[in-house]
Amino acid sequence: MISNDSETVVDLNRLHLYFDGQPVLKDLSLGVFHGDKVTLTGPSGSGKSTVLRCILGLVMPDSGTITILGEPVTRHNIWQKRRHIAYVAQEPDLGTGSVKEVIEIPFSYRANAGMRDNLARLPEIMERFNLPQPLLDKQITRLSGGEKQRIALSIAILLARPIVLLDEASSALDAENKQAVADYFKQAQNTTVLSVAHDSEWLGFATRVVDMKEIQKT
Amino acid sequence: MNQIIDISLLGLAGGYLLMIFPVAIILYLQVGMMKETAVAVLRMTVQLLFVGLYLQVVFKLNNPFLNLAWVAAMILVADLSILKGCRLKLKRFLLPMFTALVVGTVLPMIFFAGIILRLPGWFEAQYVIPLAGMILGNCLRADIIGLNSFYQSIHKNEKAYHQSLAYGAALTEAVNPFFRDALRSALAPTIASMATIGLVSLPGMMTGVILAGADPFTAIKYQIAIMIAIFSGTAITVFLAIRLTVANSFNAFGILHPDILRDS
Repeated sequence: MISNDSETVVDLNRLHLYFDGQPVLKDLSLGVFHGDKVTLTGPSGSGKSTVLRCILGLVMPDSGTITILGEPVTRHNIWQKRRHIAYVAQEPDLGTGSVKEVIEIPFSYRANAGMRDNLARLPEIMERFNLPQPLLDKQITRLSGGEKQRIALSIAILLARPIVLLDEASSALDAENKQAVADYFKQAQNTTVLSVAHDSEWLGFATRVVDMKEIQKT
Repeated sequence: MNQIIDISLLGLAGGYLLMIFPVAIILYLQVGMMKETAVAVLRMTVQLLFVGLYLQVVFKLNNPFLNLAWVAAMILVADLSILKGCRLKLKRFLLPMFTALVVGTVLPMIFFAGIILRLPGWFEAQYVIPLAGMILGNCLRADIIGLNSFYQSIHKNEKAYHQSLAYGAALTEAVNPFFRDALRSALAPTIASMATIGLVSLPGMMTGVILAGADPFTAIKYQIAIMIAIFSGTAITVFLAIRLTVANSFNAFGILHPDILRDS
């Protein structure tokens, strides 16, 4: 892999993280380049999801640096950095309310004021992921796991972030919908995707598959 | 107006005989609350005895500064009992909570004394101490509900909260849904009691004013004024308590400090 710093979108450098005295991340380093579709693999409990949560500043590594778009993440710029990232959690919890309300909430944030027009593309995205329009009036808590995942993916796409973090984001989808999601990200050339996967189907659109063991010292 | 009949000490001692019924029931059903009951009755008696003696002095002197000190002491005790009641860590919250209770009690009290009653002196003990006590008592209850609801539900709904941070929410935007819910659950009991007052039970203050020999119409005017003062006091206190504690409860990344909640 040729390293070109100006093209490194996410750079993780020697991350260490302990939880209750147990090491979760051991000297982890990983560079993700512009337009890359990197998939992290490894057994459950290997810290894959934690890597994504560190990038978002939801978990603080005990040492090491995280660089996003050329700038090390600090307590001062994390709020700014999050505006460049979309995140789809495993079993997303999107709060309460109707699906329509839940979709609109992130667009009500000041940080996303410029993205409000993107909501016009919602019907198109929903069709792509086989989500029927009447779903919008349902309560989000009544949706199936797969429907929730596709709603969360739709929000992530509409936010038009340059970096997308997916945490087993298609685990509850059937083969057809998994393919639809993979196809979408495959054609999104300017979007950098770091995903975490358990199952092999998800790897379909990855340009690089990285095992958690490869990037840490053991 | 006729004066209220005083209860003689002998009469009050006779009143304790009423305890025969609950004690008999507790023993018969082996509820096992004898010790708690005895301690509670004893505490009530001793505490009220002291308050009675103290208030006698306070009322006689009617010194604004002494009255103020009494209200401040009430607020401090309230402050401590909120923190005990809501399973939150003490030291981070003491000062903001004190501020919230002071403003929530004093602001409606100034209204009550200055605009509603038009008291001649600015701090008449006979009016200010019981009224402030009632407002404070309700602020305390609302505050426990509000703070508990706010921090517990952020903790319980951590995933949804983190998701909103990930969507680019500012701290205030991310905590707002929880803020709204907390305020709603803190104000709901007062709203419910305003809506049913007079139908289900006669409120304590109105009963007191009537017992003191006042006209029932005077009593309801007091009751209406105190309900509004309580409602506005609780809203102010809960709003400020959450607003002022938020600054110290999250780290620079917007994550709730894990040591905020005492046992979870």
